[in-house]
Amino acid sequence: MIEYLVFAAVFGLLLLGIHRKVIARIQIRPGPPIWQEILHALKFSFKSTWVPKTASSALFVAVVLVGIGIWSAALFVVLAGESILILFAIYMLHKIVEHGYGLSSGSPYGKFGGVRSVISAASEIPLFVTIAAIYLFTGSLILRDITAYQDIHGPLLLIAPPVALAMYIVILSKMPYGPFSIVESKELVSGYKTEHFGAWRAGLAVTDGLKTFVLLYAFVAIFIGAVPFWAALIIMTAVLISLSFVCAVTPMLSPFDSVTVQGIITGLMLIYAGCLWWVMS
Amino acid sequence: MKQKTVTCGLAASVIAIVAACAALAAALIPPWVAAAVLVAAFPVLVLSLGLWWRAPGGEEDIPFIGY
Repeated sequence: MIEYLVFAAVFGLLLLGIHRKVIARIQIRPGPPIWQEILHALKFSFKSTWVPKTASSALFVAVVLVGIGIWSAALFVVLAGESILILFAIYMLHKIVEHGYGLSSGSPYGKFGGVRSVISAASEIPLFVTIAAIYLFTGSLILRDITAYQDIHGPLLLIAPPVALAMYIVILSKMPYGPFSIVESKELVSGYKTEHFGAWRAGLAVTDGLKTFVLLYAFVAIFIGAVPFWAALIIMTAVLISLSFVCAVTPMLSPFDSVTVQGIITGLMLIYAGCLWWVMS
Repeated sequence: MKQKTVTCGLAASVIAIVAACAALAAALIPPWVAAAVLVAAFPVLVLSLGLWWRAPGGEEDIPFIGY
């Protein structure tokens, strides 16, 4: 089972490298090689590492462990076809972990990143609408049941495109260099990641790799259905490239605008789910 | 962090992961138990490995806290 974790982390980092490359090419820059994020993770492992004097040592280290741990758990939940409620609970935990990264460091940049992580919680609300709408169609929140439903009725992507769009936006809000990436925007240096350097940053890179893999794999499983693993990897890459296009051509929103846009999307999704419930009941 | 502590963490995580994978292969434990062990041990393995082979460190510092 360790091979799943290692593969997911490495492939997730490769996807993030492709993300950077696609953005760079759209912006007419050469961009880094696609394996740059993997090299970053390895490079940070060899760097000098200590805990800053201003940091809360226990929290500073613990959040890195928790970050890797929760996305490892999420990977097993998705691979086992278990409840997507667990997956989304883990997604919510990640918000707390981001907050912990920022607050534990003692750096104002990290703290601002952590605070922005809290105010951008609006990006998670479409998740609840996604869950509700999926349940209205499939009558279950177990991933195995959802894929079984799609075997009979076809992909949920075609049956309920707005639901897929809502989850797409949730994933977009977690992509680096995107319109909603206010938690690690450049005026905050690296946001909540600023003071986690060396081996800590390598741990963060592994977390990011796992998170990217899990979210994209879950998207494929929930909205496309059961496909061979190699096909899932290809579809994940295609979805990622579409996300990269969005990130490349949209400016990073200010924190206020980011929350406003996400709030509007959530409102529209709630109306859709309400109409769906009214029609189906 | 002391090198001895890091080495202990690295050894403990490797032993836990190898034991869980072996026990799962021998059908001694259900998959969810092996997954639980991995979820706990994998983060320790990643961090310990990084801290174990890191370059010699400097002294603790105070982050830049603004002008």
